[in-house]
Formats: sequence, structure tokens, C-alpha cells
Amino acid sequence: MDTAIKESKDTYLSELNQPIKGVSLWKDAWRRLKKNKMAMFGLVVVIIYAILSITAPILPIYSYKYQVIEHQYLPPSLTKKAGELMIEREETLLLAMAEKMGRNELNDQEREKLSELKARTATETRKISGKVVKVHDRRYILGTDSLGRDLLARIIYGGQVSIAIGVIGTITSVFIGIIIGALAGYLGGRVDYIITRIIDVMYGLPYMMLVIILMALFGRNILNLFFALAIVSWLTVARVVRGQIISLKNSEFVEAARSIGSSTGRIVFRHLVPNTLGVIVVFSTLSIPSFIMLESFLSFLGLGVQAPFASWGSLVSDGVEGMNLYPWRLFFPAIVMVVFLFAMNFLGDGLRDALDPKSKNKL
Amino acid sequence: MQTMNNDLVLQVTDLRTYFNTDDGVVKAVDGVSFALRTGETLGLVGESGCGKSVSCLSVMKLIPSPPGRIMSGQALLRGKNIFDLSADRIRQIRGGKISMIFQDPMTSLNPFLRISTQMIETIQLHQGTDKMQAKDKAIDMLRLVGIPNPGKRVDDYPHQFSGGMRQRVMIGMALSCNPEVLIADEPSTALDVTIQAQILEIIKNLSVEFGTAVILITHDLGVVAGMCDNICVMYAGRIVEKAKVDDLYQDPKHPYTQGLIKSVPRLDKPGKQRLYSIEGQPPNLIDLPDVCTFYPRCEYAMDICRQKYPPEFVTDGRAVRCWLYKEEK
Repeated sequence: MDTAIKESKDTYLSELNQPIKGVSLWKDAWRRLKKNKMAMFGLVVVIIYAILSITAPILPIYSYKYQVIEHQYLPPSLTKKAGELMIEREETLLLAMAEKMGRNELNDQEREKLSELKARTATETRKISGKVVKVHDRRYILGTDSLGRDLLARIIYGGQVSIAIGVIGTITSVFIGIIIGALAGYLGGRVDYIITRIIDVMYGLPYMMLVIILMALFGRNILNLFFALAIVSWLTVARVVRGQIISLKNSEFVEAARSIGSSTGRIVFRHLVPNTLGVIVVFSTLSIPSFIMLESFLSFLGLGVQAPFASWGSLVSDGVEGMNLYPWRLFFPAIVMVVFLFAMNFLGDGLRDALDPKSKNKL
Repeated sequence: MQTMNNDLVLQVTDLRTYFNTDDGVVKAVDGVSFALRTGETLGLVGESGCGKSVSCLSVMKLIPSPPGRIMSGQALLRGKNIFDLSADRIRQIRGGKISMIFQDPMTSLNPFLRISTQMIETIQLHQGTDKMQAKDKAIDMLRLVGIPNPGKRVDDYPHQFSGGMRQRVMIGMALSCNPEVLIADEPSTALDVTIQAQILEIIKNLSVEFGTAVILITHDLGVVAGMCDNICVMYAGRIVEKAKVDDLYQDPKHPYTQGLIKSVPRLDKPGKQRLYSIEGQPPNLIDLPDVCTFYPRCEYAMDICRQKYPPEFVTDGRAVRCWLYKEEK
């Protein structure tokens, strides 16, 4: 007991033994990120989006591909059922037609038609995914599209696709970029020269066109879309990583690693790449929105995701037709996408400030 | 002082390492030979840029190539020439048979990895033990180099250690695979004086304990006097004098060595004396003519010095490259 106390006293008296409480880079970054309100807002929004996308199959929403043709172009409504909206729409239509014919009231025939519709909407059932439901009792909070599909479900599932493209595209491009950039930077010499020239040439190509050609060549499905985006987007990562590795490869710890007999691969991927992670994380968060934009652009051109799948881009492009009559079809996907892109950019900026110890915006 | 066991661990003969630069070929190391026996501590002394570090890096084949090239020479580790080995075999030797401590402990540990990760990497690479054993070994090594509470500190990051502690970690890491040769490249230069002494003490004790031969690169003659058995004095890429420590300090033969020893400030001399310094600058190592590289700064320079580089003259069991000792051959 006594010796233990003496020892601990000794421990604290010796200058060499002062324990230094370490704060890891990530803890430090997190502390700084927490003080950045915009970034935290972005983070919360991104997390909500991610949860919604991941849990989409178990959320109480309708199928994104089930069509009820009668329900096409229903406006968004929080309170009314689909049937009521249909009746309302039928009524205004009939009234407008009657007015054209110079009448102020509906005639019997039209009234009968309306009441028939009322009766039908109240009772008609359909079998949807194994369950018999009253189809006209469905509620479309964000309205429906041209085939009577629920817009809310399509936006959520579209978000799934869009975010997945953003994330997977970023991961693959970062992955390819790290490997190629790290090898170019570390090996140097001829390897570096060749890789850098390839990157330069690929930078020179109009990459949108490259994607379009690839999509046209290999068919338009999601996998090919990932592939096409990934192979044109690793260039920047490779350049960034190469630069980082070059600045690090002459540091002493690399020489030390070589002196203990580490292999090249080990030095590059175990010792050097982790030192570049800060930059890569920032780049990744900022490149996710750009991937989503890219995919939206392709979908808008009709080269992206094919129906019945949806992405935010394809939803916007669907919504553009008839945007005067059915503005919600354009409005909601656009809003959802813009909010996500904003959030992602705020988060990326926040991370950049948080992870860069030399940042001027030090908080 | 020297162990009785006189078998050679490392024998370097006629090592030449040149660097190709835009201005011409820099002969950083030009015909260096030395031998190292088990348990021996060899000091490599000389000015900055005289080829001390490059010789040792060459022995481990760690010279960046290009621009560096090992032109000729042999480095026999227990009779096997390192330069003939494949890259894989050399990697096994690095850290396993020959390991190295670097000058600046602040930068020679990877700031992103835990101490344990870095030490386990070394041990696993060379001893093929599993992770737990390697970690135990790492903790043992940290205890040996005098890090308190090693079981806990082993999982810390480098920035949580002070400079002296990091150098201890480096020593522990370098010795963790029981290498036969430890190259200490100015291990105490970046540390303050009190820590210097401790670090040198640790290197000395552990080298005795493990029977490791040590090559100590330094420009601090005081360090050499306390640590080494033999000394090689280097000048402009060549070894100009080889001697036992005591002999060298008592009776330096080469004018350069004499100058070096005279320029050490001494406490036993009356003060208010100008400190001696060797006049002039070390030569540019590009395109040296075949003359004694030291003659422009040498107070004994003779005609022959300007004509031919002196071969090795052996006097009193000491090898000196100076024309002064020609007659005594």
C-alpha cells in the first residue's frame, strides 16, 4: 500500500512521467465541428435523410411502383383521401363543362355519374401486395405522378437511389483515386510520369460525354451508371492523394518504416494513406453532392435511372412536363434534393474547417 | 572493454555511394571500409556532409535510388553480402538483423499510428509471432528502455510522448527483434543534454545486454569518448583515421583528427582562450581530383598531398590516410 502511494508520487514527480492527455485528431475535429452550427444542421439533415432512405422498406408508405391509373395527377393533400380528391376533381371538371354549355347546375346524367363515382370510391377494393385494401382510401401527402404512383414513396425511394449513387460513386472514386494516387506519389519516377499523364489526358476529355458514351455502350442500368461515374471521377482524388504522398514520403517516419523492413505496399497503405485521410474525408463529403448532381443531370437527360426506379433527378425530369398544371411533381423532389445538397455542402465545409488544424476559420 | 569474442558481424569493404545530380556526380561515400565485431561499438565521426549517414544507409540499402547509386563495395553481414540479396531478403535484414535509430525522434514515428501498432508491426514482420505475443514483447521492450507504465503507454500515440520518450520508443522498436547491428544515426542530437546522456546510457546498456554491435554516428566527440570502442574519422567521403578510442584521444595522428580534438572546448585549460577551429570549408564532393582532400586546410600540407590521395598507412596498429606517416610504414 505504502509503496504503491510512493510509487504513484514518484510517477508524478518525474518530469518524464507526466501523462499527456491525448486528444485524437477525430475527437478534436468533432469538438470543432460541434461548434459549427451550420455543419451540425447539415449533419442532422443528412442523418435524417440516411435513416429515411435506409428504413424506406419498413416505413408506412405506399409502394413506389404501384400504379393506380385513376389516381394520376392527384394534388398533395394532408387531410383528404384519394377518393375525395377524385370526386372533387370530377365535380370541378363537370361544372366547368356545364358552364361551357351555358348551364349553372349539373344535369341529372352528370349527377348520376358523380354519385356512381362516389359509391365506387367508397367500396372498391383491390389486392395490393397480398392485402385487400380499399384503394380509394389511400392518402397521397405529396400527390401522385402521371401513373398514379405515390410521390412521397417515390421521393423516398428516389432518395435511396440518389444517395446510394452519391455514396457508392464517392467510395469507388476515392478508392481508385487513393490506390493510383498513392502509388504514383510513392513510386515516383516513370510510374508517376505515366499515371500523371493519363490523368491529364482524362481531365482533358469532356467527362460528361464519356459518361454518356459509356452509358450508351453498356446499357442503361444503375450498375453501369455507378461504373461510368466512378471511372471518370477518380482523377481529382488521385491528384490530391499523390500530392499529399509526395510531401510525406520523404518524412523520417517513412524512412524509419523502411529501416524496419516494411514492404512498399505496407508503407504506402499503412503509413502514408492514413496521413492523408483528413483531406480525403473532406473531399468525399463534398463530392457526394456533386455525384448526386451528376446523376440528376444524367437522369434529366434520360440517361440515368430507368422506370420504375426513381431518383431525384428522374423525378424532377418527370415533373418538368406539365409543371404549370401539376407543380407539386416538380416542386417536392426539387426541394428535397436542394435541402440535401445544402446540408451536405454545409457538412463538408464544416468538416474541412474542423479537420484542418491550420484552418483560418478556427473555432 | 571489448568482448573477447572477436568474430565479425559486419564487414564493409570499399563502399562507394555516388549521387547523380544536375551539377555532376557527388561522391558522397568513396571507398569506405570498416569492420564491426560482436558487442563492439564503433563511432563514425565527421563534419556534416562527410558521408557518415550515407555509408550506414548504404549498408541497409536505403539510399534513395535514383539519384543515389552504390557503385561498388561489399557489406558482409556474417559473411553474406547484403548488396547481392533480393529486395525481399533485404527487407528481412532491415529491422531483423540491422536496425536503425534516427536523429529526430519527433518525426520518425508515424503520427497517425499508435506506438503499439508500430512496434507490433516490426515484431510481427520479423519474428512471425501472433499479435498478443508481439504486444507483450513490445511492452517488455518499452519497460527495458525505461518507459514507466508501459502496459498503458503502449497504446498511446506519438504526440503523447516527449522527445526523449519517443527516442526511447525508437530504441525499443529498433532492438525488439534482437538485431545484430544497431545503427544509431545521431541519436542524441535533437535532444537536450540531460536526456542525451540517458539515451546514450540506454543504448549502451541494451547493446551490452543483447550483445548488439552498435555503429554510432555522431559529430560529438564527447559522446564518442564515452560510448565507443573504436572510432572511424571520416572526411569528404573517406575514412581518414581508424583507431581505438583511447589511442585516438591521446595521440591523434591525422591532422584533421588533431584539429577536431583541439576544437573541443576544454574545462581543464585556462579560459579566455580563443577556441581552435579548422580553417576553411570542407570540399565540394563533385569532381574531386586525386589529391588529399584535406590539404587546403592542413597545416602540414606537403607537395605530395597535392598530387595523390594517400593510401592507408598503418602505424602503431592504426590506419591513417595521411602522407605524414609514409616513412613509418
